[in-house]
Amino acid sequence: MNNLHGIVFAYRESPDLRELTQLRNGCSIPFGGRYRLVDFALSNLVNAGVTDIGLVVQSSYQSLLDHVGSGKDWDLARKFGGLRVLPPFSFAGRHQSGHYRGRMDALAGVSDYLHNIRQDYVVLCSGDLAANLPIADAFEQHVKSGADITVVCSKTTYTDPKLCNYFSIDPDDGRIIDVAVSPSVVKGDVASLEVYIMSKSLLLSLVDRCADHDQPSFSQGILLANLGKLDMRVFHFDGYIARVVSVAGYFQQNMALLEPHIRADLFNPERPIKTKDKSSPSTYYGPHSSSVNSLISDGCIIEGTVVNSILARGVRVEKGAKVENCVLMQRTCVQEGAVLRYVIADKNVRVCPGRMLMGHSTYPLVIAKNETV
Amino acid sequence: MLLAGGQGSRLKALTSKVAKPAVPFGGKYRIIDFPLSNCVNSGIDTVGVLTQYKPLELNAYIGSGQAWDLDRSDGGVHILPPYVQEDEKGSWYKGTANAIYQNLSFLEQYDPEYVLILSGDHIYKMDYSKMLRHHKETNAACTISVMEVPLEEASRFGIMNVDANDMIYEFEEKPKKPKSNLASMGIYIFTWSKLRKYLMEDEADPSSSNDFGKNIIPTMLADHEIMAAYRFQGYWKDVGTIDSLWDANMDMLDPTAGINPYDTEWPIYAQAALRPPLFTGPAAAIKHSIVTSGSEVSGTVEDSVLFHSVVVEEGAQVRYSILMPGAVVKAGAVVEYSIVAERTVIGAGAHVGADKSDDPEWGIAVVAQDLKVGDGASVPAGAIVTRNIKGVKA
Repeated sequence: MNNLHGIVFAYRESPDLRELTQLRNGCSIPFGGRYRLVDFALSNLVNAGVTDIGLVVQSSYQSLLDHVGSGKDWDLARKFGGLRVLPPFSFAGRHQSGHYRGRMDALAGVSDYLHNIRQDYVVLCSGDLAANLPIADAFEQHVKSGADITVVCSKTTYTDPKLCNYFSIDPDDGRIIDVAVSPSVVKGDVASLEVYIMSKSLLLSLVDRCADHDQPSFSQGILLANLGKLDMRVFHFDGYIARVVSVAGYFQQNMALLEPHIRADLFNPERPIKTKDKSSPSTYYGPHSSSVNSLISDGCIIEGTVVNSILARGVRVEKGAKVENCVLMQRTCVQEGAVLRYVIADKNVRVCPGRMLMGHSTYPLVIAKNETV
Repeated sequence: MLLAGGQGSRLKALTSKVAKPAVPFGGKYRIIDFPLSNCVNSGIDTVGVLTQYKPLELNAYIGSGQAWDLDRSDGGVHILPPYVQEDEKGSWYKGTANAIYQNLSFLEQYDPEYVLILSGDHIYKMDYSKMLRHHKETNAACTISVMEVPLEEASRFGIMNVDANDMIYEFEEKPKKPKSNLASMGIYIFTWSKLRKYLMEDEADPSSSNDFGKNIIPTMLADHEIMAAYRFQGYWKDVGTIDSLWDANMDMLDPTAGINPYDTEWPIYAQAALRPPLFTGPAAAIKHSIVTSGSEVSGTVEDSVLFHSVVVEEGAQVRYSILMPGAVVKAGAVVEYSIVAERTVIGAGAHVGADKSDDPEWGIAVVAQDLKVGDGASVPAGAIVTRNIKGVKA
């Protein structure tokens, strides 16, 4: 048994994701053709040898539950430990809104679960970050350095500065000396990827202290409150990172996967990203098909033209149809002669013959799940 | 009971390291996925897989049976290799009937009413529950699945001669002058008590070759047991030879061939490879082919079957070929009418196989797994390559 326990926060909502989060939460958004965002956090943990993972959910989690199931696709269906989904049952009624105001609220809501963790260390991470993180290396550094908290950080700005924290680092001892919480412009040396490693005992005491002071926010209650008190250090990660918060961002982050070096980093075969297996057959290309600079998942039937696009499993592009600069999710059907440019089609969308739909790279057209055009 | 011990010697280089049922098929599958998926889709939850030849990869592939939902607490999939019996010397499975005989204790443990015997080298989709219903309705001791074949080809098959009610009165193995065109598909349902009795008797007969077709079926006919023929209509192919394996793979490209893998009513399950989606490069030209995740295609692919993690570099051409998992075709190479096995690399500018011709020497070229065909080298049509081939300096 590995001595590291995983907690994945899988409830964040981003209003700028519009139709994409109408029927699901941000962590179960399809990404990169065959994946869901939560696959990255789960795979990162499993690839680091983590066997026990708590998945903290709050609302619209039906699609997420359907995806993770028993956890068997990540080898997390275990007799002891494995994947535990943590819905907000014990939290309901504590605050009038019924919504977690911050991560410390969420952790307080599952404090029984936290007390029963078998491991000495805990890693907290977000379920909506697409990155292939070497958690094992970060854990090793954490133990060796003797830090109280280790935060995985990136030098590159990977999202709107307002949506993350920045740290200033002491150049001599590598400790975090200042935290900028959701600043309007980039500040400090590195951006937080919201992956925190600490001991179980420290986590429990911090959860208690925050609850006692009604402090729901991780940034305020832990990072700022303990500056200079706790030894907080940074683990540097310089690979590809995508945090999906808006439709335009989602589109660009998908398109980035057409770059070979980004694919090589995100889908590093040493640390494979696992996902739910659907036993799809191979993709079929018809006699007059064309598929250029695109990522195509299994089970598609392509008889038309696909250019610069990302196709999920089971997509159909019929004869004479043209798909350019699009992200098409599971079982989208583009019928004969239809033309799509800069379109994000959610699951089971049908575009009838001859329709022409065009968005723009800065404002891709989104067609909501199960809709027919 | 799925007979998966066949050596598959006619598949030559493709079965030098794996048993025939574990040979990759149709982009995503191995041959055994078809009978296994048929079992699951027919509601059968207890399957014995009888292995003996090169079982390592097959055993690893089947694992706990999770990919077919056969990881069950009661029943599920069981690998049954030959083993040393009490007070006796152990022996390899001598024939198909002996293989079942050696596992009588496995069957007794489940004490079924009926036993379905399958072979692991056929590509087809079949609802065995319909065949079982037929078996019960006719009150047969044994039901044999048959299909109509052209009369002129009937002498290549085991032929069932039936009466007006499709009851079998005679069985002829590869008859010179066939009386009917109903060929046995090697799929049998036995009433368990009858099967048990005939297997024990057959084993006691030292002159028997312990084979269902040669011994058990003729003996049961001679004893006037009720033997029913169950007519199957649809796609069925024995993939025991290089040519038939290539043909059946090409049938996956033909929507009218009858083996539709996109049918969600009768899915074929497979142990999945964890790979990102297929990438088609800026110069890719893919036509009339099936291509699988983890592959990178930057060249031309026509009328071909590509498994996962295949690489076709820019300027390479692949036509009427099968590229098994991990095969690499380097820039400018041409692969036509060929089967390239797992992880084999075809060097830049090399030429494997040749366009179809009337030359009697012409055939499908096969390059076995984990080999390297050097840059600029040439592999003629019909060649079976089992060693690295040196490159040719330009």
